[in-house]
Amino acid sequence: MGLKNINRRGFLKLMGWGGVGATVAGCDMPSTVTLEEGKETVTSYLMPEEYAIPGIGVWYSSTCRQCPAGCGLHSRVREGRVLKLEGNPDSPVNQGRLCQMGQSGLQGHYNPDRVRSPKVRKDGKLVDITWTEAMDLLDQHVGASSGLDGTRFAWVTDSVSGHQAMLMDNLMSSLDSANLFIHEVVNSEVSQAVNREILGDATPRLMIEKAHAILSIGNDFLGTGDSPVHASTEYAEFRSSPRGVLAVAEPKMSLTGANADLWMAIRPGTEGVFALSVANVLATKHKVAVDMLPPSIQDAIMRRNLNEDARLTGISGNHVIRVAKWLSSNLGQSLVVAGGTAEGQVNGYQNGVAAMILNVMLGNIGKTIVASHEFPFPQLAHRSGGTGGLLDFVKAIDDGGLDVAFFSGANPVYTAPLALGLKDKLASVPFKVAFAQFDDETSQLADLVLPILSPMEDWGTIVPKVQGEHAVISMQQPVMEPLYPDTRGLGDILLDLLKKHDSAAYGSYENYYAYLSQAFASFPADMAADGKAVSWNDALAKGVIAVKSGEKSLVSKLQSVSVQLPEENTEFPLTLLPTPRLGLWDGRHANIPWLQEAPDQISKVVWDSWAEIHPNLAKQLEVETGDAVKITSAQGAIEVKVYVFKGVHPDAIAVPLGQGHKGYGRYADGLGVNPLEILDTTAVEETSELALYSTRVKVEKVRNKDTLVMMGDHDVQMGRKMVSTVTPAVFELTGGEA
Amino acid sequence: MLATHLFSAGRASDRGASCSASSLLSSTMSRAVAFAVCILLLCGGSQAFAAGKKDALVPNAVPPEGTYSGEDVKQPIEFPHNIHADVNKINCMYCHTYARRSKVAGIPPTGKCMGCHSVIATDKPRIKKLTEYWEKHEPPPWKKVHDVPDFVHFTHEKHLRRFVFDNKGMKVENVSEVCAFCHGEVKKMVVAKKVKPLNMGFCRRCHEANNGPHDCWKCHK
Repeated sequence: MGLKNINRRGFLKLMGWGGVGATVAGCDMPSTVTLEEGKETVTSYLMPEEYAIPGIGVWYSSTCRQCPAGCGLHSRVREGRVLKLEGNPDSPVNQGRLCQMGQSGLQGHYNPDRVRSPKVRKDGKLVDITWTEAMDLLDQHVGASSGLDGTRFAWVTDSVSGHQAMLMDNLMSSLDSANLFIHEVVNSEVSQAVNREILGDATPRLMIEKAHAILSIGNDFLGTGDSPVHASTEYAEFRSSPRGVLAVAEPKMSLTGANADLWMAIRPGTEGVFALSVANVLATKHKVAVDMLPPSIQDAIMRRNLNEDARLTGISGNHVIRVAKWLSSNLGQSLVVAGGTAEGQVNGYQNGVAAMILNVMLGNIGKTIVASHEFPFPQLAHRSGGTGGLLDFVKAIDDGGLDVAFFSGANPVYTAPLALGLKDKLASVPFKVAFAQFDDETSQLADLVLPILSPMEDWGTIVPKVQGEHAVISMQQPVMEPLYPDTRGLGDILLDLLKKHDSAAYGSYENYYAYLSQAFASFPADMAADGKAVSWNDALAKGVIAVKSGEKSLVSKLQSVSVQLPEENTEFPLTLLPTPRLGLWDGRHANIPWLQEAPDQISKVVWDSWAEIHPNLAKQLEVETGDAVKITSAQGAIEVKVYVFKGVHPDAIAVPLGQGHKGYGRYADGLGVNPLEILDTTAVEETSELALYSTRVKVEKVRNKDTLVMMGDHDVQMGRKMVSTVTPAVFELTGGEA
Repeated sequence: MLATHLFSAGRASDRGASCSASSLLSSTMSRAVAFAVCILLLCGGSQAFAAGKKDALVPNAVPPEGTYSGEDVKQPIEFPHNIHADVNKINCMYCHTYARRSKVAGIPPTGKCMGCHSVIATDKPRIKKLTEYWEKHEPPPWKKVHDVPDFVHFTHEKHLRRFVFDNKGMKVENVSEVCAFCHGEVKKMVVAKKVKPLNMGFCRRCHEANNGPHDCWKCHK
């Protein structure tokens, strides 16, 4: 039987044997990976700890520093290298979960663009110097004999807490300076101002898990809230039996909006009108009492007209009625949260007040909104900030000028709108110091760059922004040796600076570790929530200490509400929404490839910027997904590719935050645009925060179709019935309820 | 050059398998060839049976076949495996203590060397060099001799369990015979050298002969 007259059976036999032969022979082929003998060095332990076994991981507890939430970490370390991060189940903040930003903390730690030695500016260029020279320079400018006037010193930082915050405060006191400016683009400062004014507590606990109906007005609590993992954990409970119902009104669909039972596109700036419209239906249709409200607020509610409000907000009266029905069926078991795009408007404060009116009417205060824990060590408490910190810093330069400015954690040159002119103003500050893990837009302008340890190499105590069941202090410990010997902890540098001012108080501490362990020993013996003594080793092993906290109660001091609508603007008809997302956050994670690669939760775009435009607007502009548009505000213009999407209000255009870096390392630079650049510098009325989501823009097409790289290519199921659906007509009738 | 070297060594040792396959492809599907293949496989099986007899140094095991001619690796200290493992009969696992506990056998901690050599043979040049490293608080920069690609997960602990600790009749003092399956007779060497191909064919044939797992993901995770 030759090959020419092979029959079917013979052919199959041949193929079978041939396949086996090829496989067996293939297994003996050399690997495509060249294995060299005697080239790679294997480093053995000198004297290993008993529990350290090469090849087997050891888990250490620590705290995530990727956002201000302060989630507990478990870090797997093998052969002296940290390899994996997971959530610490003992932390009441994240209860064992960890988000993608936390998981990718490793790529910050191992980032090849880490700053590896101190640098000083000489002849316009940053050149390497030793730590001794760097600390001498610092001493010359901020030491006890420097003669520095405290009013001419400023420190711009991200959120701080724990002993680092305390040392910062102590240094500020030593310098007689009040200019510690905390700056975060993603923040809840306006909500906190509303809460402080009305409830007497800036950060009350939102009991998401206890609610049966939630209305979010612009608050992306699952994606970019104060503690996204904590909120997601509570949200899972909220959605379990009996399943809670979630309605979201926002101008651009967020991660929270994508999870909603009812998502409503609202015209930016009309959030307060919408809240009062819901209040009107609650009072008139469902007879929810309003007599606890001041007469002026009752009047403001009763004056609302459903049809007129629908025209203003873009949300149909039927939807308002449906939301009111859900809320009225769950009095005292509902929750209305405003934030994000609602509070970043010029009238954002009043939008927040209007949302809080709903909570008061629904009896949620004390039920689903309860007082925060009275943290027993106020000097260690979490200090949050917003864009107000940035404005205050610019004002400090404008008012009297500064001699010395410190930067840590924050990157104001990137996050400041160009209209603030920060880059030029910084030129007038003669000595700028950046404490930096990576070179960024701010450190590039610094006169001294001090490389700091990564959070996986440094000590610390963190008080989380949102506390869970208990008030906690979360421990941060080095999980491995520093990768680069010429880097130092920020705490160590702070301590050295303080020693120059007060050697009697700080001279005995050899380093920040010694300071922390001493500080720990001075805590009251009964500080733990369970009354048991906590040892330093126990605290490090567990990662968190639940501490006894005092009881607080909320008040309800509503006085008035005023929902002024944004002015018409014919030259700039659209509102620009520079939206943050769980991933690149405010741009600080743009140098992490995993997060660049992780698709945006809504558009699925990777490694780029895009502008979300409603199909109606796209039709009007004659653009399709992938076409490039120019977005122009009164402050400047950016060019970006379009993503045509129904989840954005036709009067708005959303461009994500995080890209457009110029000087943030090999992974971040040259990608996309930074929408913060073209923002107006208008503040939210009654606060000192920037109205981040109120800049008016116009849009024009500049280029034809380009490639917008995204996972998947369409947002419909292509008839595959992966998720059961109903038609819009059926949904209108049933509201999605069975 | 090294890749070529690997290739020829692997082919030479596995000529039987590759020849039978190629002859099948190039000739007709005659019953005679099929019969010959069967005989070949049966012979292999009987050899395996003979090797796995109960009175062998490693009972219930068929040592993997295959040879390789590795390079001489220059180590910072010319460590004499023969003096330790053959002359002084020190068990391999005394120094490579992690092998029975972990995926990797591990290079012994320098402290372990000094446990003996702070008093034994302190005047010898190699020990003087070792002591210099120890006093500098630096482990000697040993060079890796045996390696598999990163996409292969080989675990010493599971292999030792199968061939030593869970192997009825196996004496722990003969463990060097099990190590020799993949590392050759290291106890006869001064500096260890690669003498087995450690490629997929080598692993697969051993798994087949010793009833090891056949799932891809056992090794490729």
